[in-house]
Amino acid sequence: MDFVILSLTMIAIGIYGLLTKRDLLKVFMSVELITTGATLNFVMLTSSLGKGLGEAFLILAFSTDTVISGVVLALLVIVCKKYGTSDINEILKTDQKEETL
Amino acid sequence: MIFEIISTGLLISACLAIFLDEAIYSVSALACTFFFTSLLYLLNDAIYVAIFQFAVAVGTLAILFLSGEMLSTKSENKPSVKKLLILVFAGALISIPTILLSISSPSIVGSGIAFEEALWDLRGMDIVFQGLVLLTVALGTAIILYEKKRRA
Repeated sequence: MDFVILSLTMIAIGIYGLLTKRDLLKVFMSVELITTGATLNFVMLTSSLGKGLGEAFLILAFSTDTVISGVVLALLVIVCKKYGTSDINEILKTDQKEETL
Repeated sequence: MIFEIISTGLLISACLAIFLDEAIYSVSALACTFFFTSLLYLLNDAIYVAIFQFAVAVGTLAILFLSGEMLSTKSENKPSVKKLLILVFAGALISIPTILLSISSPSIVGSGIAFEEALWDLRGMDIVFQGLVLLTVALGTAIILYEKKRRA
């Protein structure tokens, strides 16, 4: 099984979602998919080669990923409460209206 | 064969997570993605990583469910069966290269150091400092949300 192709496909799906979706939650989920694809690639390579150090590094990478998720979700909740929507275009429009006023 | 089935499920659930409109269904599909990833790790003898991925996924998904429920407008729109079928078909279609271009991975098992040894002997200080970073970030997130609550 070539896991490189699998992880590349997952990263491609994530990048597509990142470029096309305008909802903040979807953007965040796309980033999660990209990180999952990248870690999948590393875990499969290191575990098939029997290198424990790679897996140890990935445990640290998972922690960092979780930290980023927590902070991004906190900021997302604040932005959505301030602007009343999670759509990026509407947030930009509201912001521009406030600037002109 | 089991790897191919799990890979196909992984890609189908990733497609559903991105393309479903309703936040709750989308987060449920992302949960399936994390579960399949964890299963792949487990089948490839990366047990610790699989357990860690599962634990992290449970935490992330709990927060995502909460924020998805908070942020989504209450609409009763269920995804149509036609759209679901199209997404499942698209997911199965893009998993074909993964299945067809299957190349057996190199099996040089046992050439490196053990996971436990690598984690505690080589990266022990990293783990301790990572704990400190995690605590700081948890505190920072709490402060961000507290400031907002006080202003409201």
